[in-house]
Amino acid sequence: MKSATQQRKGFIRPPGRESRTVQDPFEEFKCFTAPSHDIPLDQIVQSTEAIMDRIRRGYEKLLEEEAKELVWMVQYNTIIKAYEVAEKYVRELDYTAEDIEDFCFALENTQKIPYLIPGPAGVYISALCNYAKEEEIVLKLSELKTEINLIGFRLPKGKRLMIDGDTGDFTGIGLEGGELVVEGNAKNWTGAGMRGGKILVKKNIGLHTGEWMMGGEIYVGGRVRGLGNIVEGKVYERDKLVYPGKARYPNLYY
Amino acid sequence: MEEQNYQSIIEGIWPKLKKKHLYPEIPIPRIREATDPKQGEAEETEGVGLEMKEKQMTINGPFVSRMKDKMPEQRIIEALLDHGMTHYTFCPWDFHTHLMLYAEAKKVTGDKELAKQVANYFIDVIADTHCVRKRHTEIPELHRNLKKGTVEEVIAFLYQKIWGIDLGISPSKMNVKGHGDIVRRLARIPYLDRSRWGESIKKFARSLKPLLLEEQKETKGGKGERNPQGEHELNHYSNEEIDQGLRDYAKQTMALSEFKEVVDDFSDELKGAGYGMEGGMGRGQGNPIDADVLFYMKLAENYSIPLKKLPLNEKGSLHPHAHSPWEIGSPYQDVDIWTSFGKIMPGITQVWTKKEGKGRGRVEGSPDCLIAIDSSGSMINPRKSLSYAVLGAACATNAYLQNNSKVAVYNFSDAPMGGKDILDYTDRREDLYRVLCKYFGGGTALDLEDLMPLIQGRKNLDFFIITDMKITNLETLIGFFGQIQNRVTAVHIGDNPYAARFEKAVEKKKNISIYTVKRKEDIPHIVLGRIRDYFNPAHIKNS
Repeated sequence: MKSATQQRKGFIRPPGRESRTVQDPFEEFKCFTAPSHDIPLDQIVQSTEAIMDRIRRGYEKLLEEEAKELVWMVQYNTIIKAYEVAEKYVRELDYTAEDIEDFCFALENTQKIPYLIPGPAGVYISALCNYAKEEEIVLKLSELKTEINLIGFRLPKGKRLMIDGDTGDFTGIGLEGGELVVEGNAKNWTGAGMRGGKILVKKNIGLHTGEWMMGGEIYVGGRVRGLGNIVEGKVYERDKLVYPGKARYPNLYY
Repeated sequence: MEEQNYQSIIEGIWPKLKKKHLYPEIPIPRIREATDPKQGEAEETEGVGLEMKEKQMTINGPFVSRMKDKMPEQRIIEALLDHGMTHYTFCPWDFHTHLMLYAEAKKVTGDKELAKQVANYFIDVIADTHCVRKRHTEIPELHRNLKKGTVEEVIAFLYQKIWGIDLGISPSKMNVKGHGDIVRRLARIPYLDRSRWGESIKKFARSLKPLLLEEQKETKGGKGERNPQGEHELNHYSNEEIDQGLRDYAKQTMALSEFKEVVDDFSDELKGAGYGMEGGMGRGQGNPIDADVLFYMKLAENYSIPLKKLPLNEKGSLHPHAHSPWEIGSPYQDVDIWTSFGKIMPGITQVWTKKEGKGRGRVEGSPDCLIAIDSSGSMINPRKSLSYAVLGAACATNAYLQNNSKVAVYNFSDAPMGGKDILDYTDRREDLYRVLCKYFGGGTALDLEDLMPLIQGRKNLDFFIITDMKITNLETLIGFFGQIQNRVTAVHIGDNPYAARFEKAVEKKKNISIYTVKRKEDIPHIVLGRIRDYFNPAHIKNS
């Protein structure tokens, strides 16, 4: 058997050279190390991801609890129960208003969060807002494809929540003295059961506005489609007081 | 004199820079001289340090001269080149990424100019951050010394925060008008994670939009200050890169409306790249680009469907016969470099048109093809959403044209009532696509009298029909197919009883192959001109 190093027939070695060596073209790069160094961005992104993971896990736990209910009905007891579960997870988290906004978008875009159930999602986001460190929270949600329901639920006194975009049904229900500003439209049952505080909707508002509200004020920059059965409180439409006022029939446009 | 000095600086540092960026295929940068004829233009470009056209980077000499009091020339040039090279090696990397980033930004801003600005800032932030993290660079020093507007100041403060390097912006400056809040939001974006750029630019746009609107108001709709690190325009890319980018973007989005929007927004730039010119994609000089046609053209280029060759008598090999203008997307192998003056440019470049010579024997070749496409009301309007019928017909067109065959199109809806468009045999791709994209939206009936002139006198001819088979005179069509011996490729969109009826009626005809297209993935399964027992010579004799 011929050895691999055996010289081939007819091969003429160049004069003055004993053996032929092949040069590795990548030899030069053997000692090359890319001078990569950490910058604060790495840490910011890493911690943001970690917080988002924790927020997401809390939401998943809430969904697990709520999944026992096959159909999620928006009833006072259901909401209270879901909020209590949400509160339990949210209390342990350390996050900022930007994390809440990121979570809203993650609900729509990320594959990691399996489903967006409008009810529990709104309750969870409300809990996040109510327990956030900041007194003023701005959520830029105008590019969100889904309108979040129940946002601003039980917003406590001293908190100001500004939503840049539209909101869904049950916006600001059970408000507890906080200030909720919606830059766009709000759907039906806005401010239902609120006890105090202020809701300002810059554009239009849906039916059953202020149903069973016990106090506080609702200001609407556009049109009110219909009022609910209001117990106490005030509703303004384009700076004009509409409740208490001439509106007698709930849900009929006056 | 200074320019010569700068050029020698570039020549000195270029090997080191190339090594630092792992040897990208970029030619040695040049220096743009100060002797510009137009004063206005000179003033406009004075603030721009770097220009990138195709792969050629050009350093602006007057910019370096103006900056040299603040930092040494070599470091200015090195920083600018680091920035420019990172655009080629990391972000945006290619035209497709650039388009994708722009399209995502547009979804948030809703305005073309704002979206372009957002995409430019985003691309710069990524390129500079990547460079600062991965290489030893003078970019931070350059940013420290650059003249800054409001947006640039906010971006510089963002750099301070995410790079951890002082760029001379005091935090107190950021307390005004919520700029600090904007920077806080911007700093959370994972700029270096390529897989998340689509979602990241949306967040970037959301945060920066109020600031850009404010600036737009201040400049009263003007463009504002030019980017000292160079504008990211389409001339950054070569024609081939633009072509590839459009192809990838069409494939990735698969949405006609999105593609159309982006092409409309970039129409001026695309025209500059030859898309609006005669012989390019377009519709004659000065006319708007037909985004729908371009969409199907680019999308079809992503699919390749096989075409079975047919034994043709008295045909020899191909030889160059005449010249014809080259168009974007055409292969390069037939380009005649002598008459094209060594340039690849629509309108200048010429290709050899080949002709088959007379010869003996049974040489295999591909015949011409007659494409019949249904554009009745039961079909999707190709100008509103993605039509698999048009895409399938476009792929078939490409297959025949690539084999130097000619194609005729019979676009029909209610043909006896005039709902039809006929294009005679041609190899002009744009004309063919325009007829394919036509939509009548009426009833469905074929008129065989229209087809006869296209068939008569042609010994070898393939027939390709794409329809949902909901044809009023389907029996006539079946009868017609019963008579002809040509190879027929019939494609029906979706399943329905009419398609089943057609399949049943022609199942014994060996020259008819039937395919169903329900999803886009079905298109590559089509084999054009397939005869079921083609390899059995006995059958050919008998038939």
